[in-house]
Amino acid sequence: MIIDSQLASFFTAAALIIIGLYAALFLDNIIKKIIGLAFIGDGANLFIITMGYKAGGIVYIFLPDMTVNWFAQNASYPLPFALVLTSIVIGASTLAVMLALVIVLYKKYGSIKASKILGAKQNQETENSIKGDGL
Amino acid sequence: MIEYILMIVAVLGAIIALIQRDLLKAAILTGISGAAIAFLYQFLLAPDVALTQAIVGTAIVPVFIALAVKKTRSMEED
Repeated sequence: MIIDSQLASFFTAAALIIIGLYAALFLDNIIKKIIGLAFIGDGANLFIITMGYKAGGIVYIFLPDMTVNWFAQNASYPLPFALVLTSIVIGASTLAVMLALVIVLYKKYGSIKASKILGAKQNQETENSIKGDGL
Repeated sequence: MIEYILMIVAVLGAIIALIQRDLLKAAILTGISGAAIAFLYQFLLAPDVALTQAIVGTAIVPVFIALAVKKTRSMEED
């Protein structure tokens, strides 16, 4: 292969983050915005995992016939993995909270398009301000 | 060699999930992208993260999205 797998994995993480940013900024459907945010989280996790990768290394399990020096030189760096393990679960729970807020918005405004929800909200606010001026 | 295929599958799954008009198909394709990322973690020497990502990214996240789509509506309106 032309590029090694660590560099290719960095490119994959960058592509996932860019795709997620595009979806979260420019798509109109709220559920697709949330899928894009999930992809940003996946890209960030993949970036951190790739930082700890060591090409040609082994999994960080210390077996009885290894010496400590050989293990330290060949095993991948395990600290980011322990942090990413927590980050994945937190990402899933925040996704659940965002989807619950989408269901609440759908029950209130009857649509999952961001433009319609924002338009209805602005109309409501102007009506309220007109009523407040009249009173 | 397999890890390059998995990277391509992850990125293509993300792109195809976001250009779908049917949101249930988008949920399923999110699961495919998560599964590819889980196998990629296994190749990046992180088997514990791969186990967690395989459960969360392949099963839990698409089920949550599919439940939200069922509660709202299935097709993206024009």
